Amino acid sequence: MNGHAIAGWWANRALATKGLVVVALPLLIFLGSVAVLFAISRMEAEAEQDVRLTIAIQTDINEVHALLAEASSGVRGYLLTGERRFLEPYQRAEDTLPALFAQLQAAIRDADAARRLARIEALAEQKRDGLTALLAAREGTGTLDQATIGDGLAANKRVLDALRAQIEGMQARERELLAARQDRLDRLRSGGLLATGILMLAGLGGSLFAVFLFSSGIVRRIQRLERDAVLLAQGDVLTGREDGRDEIGLLAERMGEASRLLRAREQALRDGEERFRLVIEGVRDYGIFALDTQGHVISWNTGAQRIKGWHSSEIMGCHFSVFYPGKDARSRSMRNLADAMREGRVEDEGWRVRKYGTRFWANVVITALYDETGALRGFSKVTRDITERRRAQEALEIARQEAETASAAKSLFLSRMSHELRTPLNAILGFAQLLELDRTANSPQDRGSIDHILRAGRHLLALIDEVLDIARIEAGKLGLEIAPVVLSAVMAEAAGLVRPQAEARGVTMICEAGGVPPIAADPRRLLQVLLNLLSNAIKYNRDGGTVVLRAQRVGGIVRIDVIDSGIGIDPEQAGQLFQPFTRLAAGAAGSEGTGLGLSLSRALVEAMAGAIGYAPRDDGRQGACFWIELPVSKTPLPAEFAQGDPASSAIVQPRAVTILLIEDNLANAQLIEAVIARHLPDARVLNAMQARIGLDLALQHRPDLVLLDLHLPDRDGDWVLEELRRTIPALPVILLTADALAAQADWAARGARAVLTKPIDVPALAGQLERALTEGVADE
Amino acid sequence: MTRAADDARILVIDDEPANLALVAAVLAREGYASVETVPDPRHAIDRYLAFRPDLVLLDLMMPGIDGYALLDRLRRLAVADDPVPIMVLTADTSIEARRRALALGARDIVTKPFDVFELGLRIANLVELRLLLERLYLAGKGTGGRGDDSGAC
Repeated sequence: MNGHAIAGWWANRALATKGLVVVALPLLIFLGSVAVLFAISRMEAEAEQDVRLTIAIQTDINEVHALLAEASSGVRGYLLTGERRFLEPYQRAEDTLPALFAQLQAAIRDADAARRLARIEALAEQKRDGLTALLAAREGTGTLDQATIGDGLAANKRVLDALRAQIEGMQARERELLAARQDRLDRLRSGGLLATGILMLAGLGGSLFAVFLFSSGIVRRIQRLERDAVLLAQGDVLTGREDGRDEIGLLAERMGEASRLLRAREQALRDGEERFRLVIEGVRDYGIFALDTQGHVISWNTGAQRIKGWHSSEIMGCHFSVFYPGKDARSRSMRNLADAMREGRVEDEGWRVRKYGTRFWANVVITALYDETGALRGFSKVTRDITERRRAQEALEIARQEAETASAAKSLFLSRMSHELRTPLNAILGFAQLLELDRTANSPQDRGSIDHILRAGRHLLALIDEVLDIARIEAGKLGLEIAPVVLSAVMAEAAGLVRPQAEARGVTMICEAGGVPPIAADPRRLLQVLLNLLSNAIKYNRDGGTVVLRAQRVGGIVRIDVIDSGIGIDPEQAGQLFQPFTRLAAGAAGSEGTGLGLSLSRALVEAMAGAIGYAPRDDGRQGACFWIELPVSKTPLPAEFAQGDPASSAIVQPRAVTILLIEDNLANAQLIEAVIARHLPDARVLNAMQARIGLDLALQHRPDLVLLDLHLPDRDGDWVLEELRRTIPALPVILLTADALAAQADWAARGARAVLTKPIDVPALAGQLERALTEGVADE
Repeated sequence: MTRAADDARILVIDDEPANLALVAAVLAREGYASVETVPDPRHAIDRYLAFRPDLVLLDLMMPGIDGYALLDRLRRLAVADDPVPIMVLTADTSIEARRRALALGARDIVTKPFDVFELGLRIANLVELRLLLERLYLAGKGTGGRGDDSGAC
């Protein structure tokens, strides 16, 4: 456990730390050994020194003893003989001893030996003094009695003995010391040897330990990494665990991650390739295969096998020209390859051959494949069998041609029929007209007959026109010109055209056409439909009844209602209304009509992407309501439509206009204001009761339109008109007058836009308002 | 030398005798004295060259001949000599027919069945146009222009 902790700790150190430890450990051991050896050698040297000193002391003491002994025997000889030559040792001892003693005193460190030396020195002094005294006695007397000599000698002998004893003691001590020192030296020597051995072992061990640390902590792991790198290169996943958190551990971890990542990518790549291969191989509807640069097949899929019949084992390596029919298969196939190389890709359609020689119509795409260096690697070829489609196309083409032929034939037939029917009718109507003109030549009976011929002929002509229109619509030959149409203008025109018919029966027309957006329609055809509905509404009305023509927006469409106050239509018959030649019994008697009007109207409205229908009146009153729905125009009104034919182009831009009304009759003014409010809800109306005020208002506000009553309290309306012409020439002016004769007068020459007679006709007023404002816009 | 409108020479080409007769009757009623009718369109060019009309009324839809081709030829003859207006009478009411005829140089087009009043008025218009063109043409010829100027006033 502890060992593991240490190993873990060691493994987690950084490589620099590890290196330091591995290098420092043997170095420290080495330095320690050197220190120890140095200390031991020092101690040895000291011990040797001690031994040498002891030996020198012993030598010196022996010399002291010898000197004294020789001096003593020399003195005795001198004393006995009186010969001076016996005094030589004594003299030598006298010269040498002080130096010897000084030498000894310096050398002796042992306290016991020092004490003995002091005693020896004292004894030697005593001995020398004894000898000196003996000598002095001899010298003094010249002769020495034997007794004195004998005493002196005896005393000297005792001192010498004591000295000898001391010297011997000292020598014994020195020997003891020598032995002890020798012994210590020996011990030190053997101890040093031992220490050296131990240190050598320690150094060896430390080095070995460092080597172990180095190899276990670094080398082995690096070797493992190297093996891992080999595995990584082979694409294996590294599973070995590396515990250490040092650089090697991190490196191993990264390599492990890299190996897992590589494996995952390789897997994904393999999966992708596998999927791709399966997809390509599994495609049945397309022959997908690869060619080498020369055009030999090198891959093959199920679709290719299905379409062409060859199994992949049969076709691999074959040249793809076998798919081409005819003798020039090779050259055509190679041309395709050359085209693909030049263009990158070539698409071709044509006959190709299956394995057993049958042909199919193929759509072929050949794509040149290049590698990164731009070198051609081969071609991919995708082939589809579109024989069926081609057959279908051919059939369709034949059908289309037939249909065109039929359509052309129908057009020709319509044209012929129109001609063939009209040509005799031309003579009938023309001569009848001439006869009718020649009134004086005819009897009243003849005139009645001529009238019948003319009416029947015109009815026939109307029938022919409507039949041809219906036929044209059905043949798609009507040639509608759909454009943005301002409904109010077309409605006003339609109302104006049927006005004589309405007046003949005392029917009041009410036209409410303001405020709807432009619709998408053919204005001429729309007018035709409105005329048909209005003329029916008048025809089947009661005398003195009303016809309402109104339009309103409902979401993306505009609904037009034509409402009459006739006896209405039996709901059971309503379903047949739009069938050709259905003239309902109710209105049939005495009424003219082709019986085709409503069915033609329906065909026209439907051709304009609209709808038409019948509904009972929603206010519960007696009468019928026919409605038309047409889409709101998606394109804006072209600017040029603001000019020209008012039926197709009387367009009021939705904008704030200012209208100046100069009228002194309050009731009329209110009526006109109501009409303006309904048709031009955004318009601002300025009202003046007097000519002068009106003129001032015109100059001040610059209105877009002036409605001017000719009969005013202060000045004549003509004066106002003149002034306006002079000051604001472009300003449109509509005159209002109760005088029918004045209305016929030269109003245009005087510069008025239009004239309206009182009582004011509301639709006419509305139409004039819109027309005048539209032209005003165009002028701007 | 101002000519009266009534003196205008009018060539009528129509394969349908009844219509030919009708047009002749209308022209007679309007007071035109020099009217030549051509019931067989194959003779139209010959008759045109022989008659030198001031106005041609041409039916477009006739069996055995392409009315448009005839119109084109007549118009070229007219322009080569001097401008003679051509009015087309046709039972073809389609907008294409009208456009084509006008594009080929017809001065006017009237669809059958026509209103006899309208036909008379339109013929009068074209005769007037023809006389004006003629005056302009003669004036443009230079030397003969003087007398015409005085006559025009």
